[in-house]
Amino acid sequence: MHDILNDTIASAPLWAIVVTGVATLLVHAWDEKSDKPVFWIALAGIGVSAVLTIWRAPVAGTAYSGMLKTGGAASAWTLLFLVATLLTLFIAWDSLGKAAAPRGEFTILVLFAVAGMIPFSAGNDLLAVFIGLEILSVSLYTLVGLTRRRFASNEAALKYFLLGAFAGGFFLYGIAFLYGAAQTTNIEDIARRFAQSNFPVLFLTGSALLLVGLAFKTGAVPFHMWVPDVYQGAPTAVTTFLITGGKAAAFGAFVTVFTMTLGHASARFAVVIGVLALCSMVFGNIAAIPQTDIKRMLAYSSIGHAGYMLIGVQTASVEGAGGVAFYLLSYILTSTGAFGVVAAMENEQGEGTRIEDFAGLGYTKPLLGALLSLFLFSLIGIPPFSGFFAKYYIFLTAIEHGDLWLVLIGVATSVVSLYFYLRVMVVMFFRQPGENQPVPEAGAWTMIAVVLSAAGVIALGLFPGTVLDLITSVF
Amino acid sequence: MPEEYIPIVLILLCALAFGMVAVWLSRILGPRRDYPEKLTTYESGVEPVRTAHERFSVKYYMVAVLFILFDIEVVFIYPWAVRYRALGWYGLIEMVVFIGILLAGYIYILKKEALKWD
Amino acid sequence: MDAVGVLIALLKIVVLFAVVLLTVAELVYFERKISAWIQNRIGPNRVGPAGLLQPYADVLKLLMKEDVVPAAANRFLHALAPVVSISIALAALAVVPIAGSPVTLFGRSVIPVIADIDVGVLYILALSSMGVYGLTIGGWASNNKYSLLGGLRSSAQMISYELSMGLSLIGVVMITGSLRLDEIVRHQAGWMWNIVLQPIGFVTFLIAAFAETNRLPFDLPEAEHELVGGYHTEYSSFKFALFYLAEYANMITASAVIATLYLGGWQVPGLSRLGLSTGAEIAMQIGAFLAKTAAMLFFFQWVRWSIPRFRYDQLMNLGWKVMFPAALANIVLTALVLLFVE
Repeated sequence: MHDILNDTIASAPLWAIVVTGVATLLVHAWDEKSDKPVFWIALAGIGVSAVLTIWRAPVAGTAYSGMLKTGGAASAWTLLFLVATLLTLFIAWDSLGKAAAPRGEFTILVLFAVAGMIPFSAGNDLLAVFIGLEILSVSLYTLVGLTRRRFASNEAALKYFLLGAFAGGFFLYGIAFLYGAAQTTNIEDIARRFAQSNFPVLFLTGSALLLVGLAFKTGAVPFHMWVPDVYQGAPTAVTTFLITGGKAAAFGAFVTVFTMTLGHASARFAVVIGVLALCSMVFGNIAAIPQTDIKRMLAYSSIGHAGYMLIGVQTASVEGAGGVAFYLLSYILTSTGAFGVVAAMENEQGEGTRIEDFAGLGYTKPLLGALLSLFLFSLIGIPPFSGFFAKYYIFLTAIEHGDLWLVLIGVATSVVSLYFYLRVMVVMFFRQPGENQPVPEAGAWTMIAVVLSAAGVIALGLFPGTVLDLITSVF
Repeated sequence: MPEEYIPIVLILLCALAFGMVAVWLSRILGPRRDYPEKLTTYESGVEPVRTAHERFSVKYYMVAVLFILFDIEVVFIYPWAVRYRALGWYGLIEMVVFIGILLAGYIYILKKEALKWD
Repeated sequence: MDAVGVLIALLKIVVLFAVVLLTVAELVYFERKISAWIQNRIGPNRVGPAGLLQPYADVLKLLMKEDVVPAAANRFLHALAPVVSISIALAALAVVPIAGSPVTLFGRSVIPVIADIDVGVLYILALSSMGVYGLTIGGWASNNKYSLLGGLRSSAQMISYELSMGLSLIGVVMITGSLRLDEIVRHQAGWMWNIVLQPIGFVTFLIAAFAETNRLPFDLPEAEHELVGGYHTEYSSFKFALFYLAEYANMITASAVIATLYLGGWQVPGLSRLGLSTGAEIAMQIGAFLAKTAAMLFFFQWVRWSIPRFRYDQLMNLGWKVMFPAALANIVLTALVLLFVE
């Protein structure tokens, strides 16, 4: 009895989300038109979960016989997911309402996805990580196909499902290898046996397979094929969730499985992850240049950003992990903001996301134009916005770690990224709007999300050290 | 332990052999007087219309998917049931939570009329 | 396991098959007699004394008939389906114990069951769920619309009731703490049969067993008024007979399993107080087991000739909306009672 109580309290943030998810499911089952109550219950649940997360943050430990990490670093990841989810829900309320997509189902599935993200990123046991991965993935597959009548949405969902199931298979196969080699699925025990092993072929094979599964989720080259189509085809609110929460969960798991444990066991992975980072940065930033659709452009650029974060992952250090978490926080705020503006630009059919459609936005809607520019500056990494410090800390850690080559590539590709981000701004401010171009109306919730994101981006840029110290202190 | 399973393999092989021998016997013992009309598909005496391998009601897929879902629940409960006495209250609460979450899904299915046949 | 062990196992298998097949033959005869009796008719009375040889004549006749395979059918799967059906029906009885203690044969101790495995309950559930393959493959391979519908219906019906079947058994497993059938029977000493301890579980399991064996009132897969012959519309000759055999063999398996799990198996209340020799005790136990199985078989036929067929939507509603929650409630109830009693 005592154990149950302790475990439940320790994993209270997860429980809050699960209970909210089940409650919203039941409320929605009883009344099809209960989108609004479901929305409010979800907001309340996320709030409660956030409070519980902060409350448990100082007490790092494990729950459920060492299956789940609680407190400490797990709290940091959980908070990231909750921030991403909250902002996504705001945007989704207006954006899905416009597209007449089922908002109730969206909210429920997002909550379940978060219930998967937490064990995915905070699992202390590979099985918990895998179950988290599956809960998260299945929710995301469904979310991507949410607008059933849109061809692109269906195509994206099917592509994501097929490739995702394939990558999940790799991940599970890796777990099987590691279990065979170490006779346990506990990550720390595996890392210990790995380090002691004289002939670690099984360990290396297993870890490499895990790496494939995780790299797929993060969207790193060469496992990025799904990213552009899925991000473009999914409803914009879902893309926002994928690019913020989905990416945060993948990197959380990456850091938990590789940086903090397996990475110590073998230095060989630093090189592999470094190469993944290099390819992602180069490919993502170059492939974004010719894109004409802003969602697709941001999708390619997200591959590049995954590359920057992988630089932090491959250092296998606490500073690197803290840097990744900081980068993610910055990236979540920036992307939500940018996608909030994109969502406001869209019409009922999900059109209006071509870059030409943004022509003259700086005059017709100065506030939206200015905010989008702010987010794009942050994505490039121009001070004083958060994106600059995010890149700066990652590069700093990498230099201290002796990875100057990655940093040089990172800086060079950032310069390349100037071109396609600035092009959007050129279109917004120096081109006249087309004849029949509709003037976008941003909904109240979208504006709240965008303004909050902008405030966050600026605040992170003004007090980066404080936030980074806070994050690093829990790792 | 694996020794207990040898009879299982034997009985499966014997049963399979019985079935195959029976089919083979009926083939060699029975007469063969085929003609095209006899070999047409039976359709209440009229000429067969198209093939039977076409799309059929999605309801069957629904039932299959839901079955997989809940059958895995059942499989999970078995090891728990074997050790139930040792687990006591802890086991009961954990299982009530597990069943409770799946029951929420079950209620959702019922309310969405996924199991409605008409 | 050495060569003699394998031989003994083979011997037991042959005896089991012979008993099951003979019982099937007699069962068909009795079914016709019982239905005649219920409907105030005479029933078969021409072949042999009182018509007793009628089923053997039927088998011979079916064996000599032409085996027609429709041109549009998939020949391999068409032949495979009845083989799958009959093999699974025959193999399921491997784990059912028929007596309490081993007998000595050829100077070694022989257990009164073909395979005494530790997951006997799971084995039975696994095989009973595999039985659906025979019907589905047969329905699909025939390339006939009636067959396909019959196969689909049967698969949907069987998987729906398999859920309740699996859930009903969990109560028994909780009480016994083992999946080994021998231990489950031993746990039902005296009058403490599981039918007394698990009344709800017994009823749900019984209903599920009817549905799993496709017996009336759940014989929707072959509902002749709507589907001609259902999945075996395009089957003739001995392939058809094999489906028939499998249905009756499944009924025997279901009866034996119900007798074992809920009616105390080979247990005879108060047997040990009689002070019989071991041999006599074993004979009594086998007799008790057979009597219980026979009683269940009679019950199967009694129900068949008394209750009309369900409509398909009623069938699915019963399975998903009544049986499933009832079986779940039974688990929770059993769990609570076990905790409070002990």
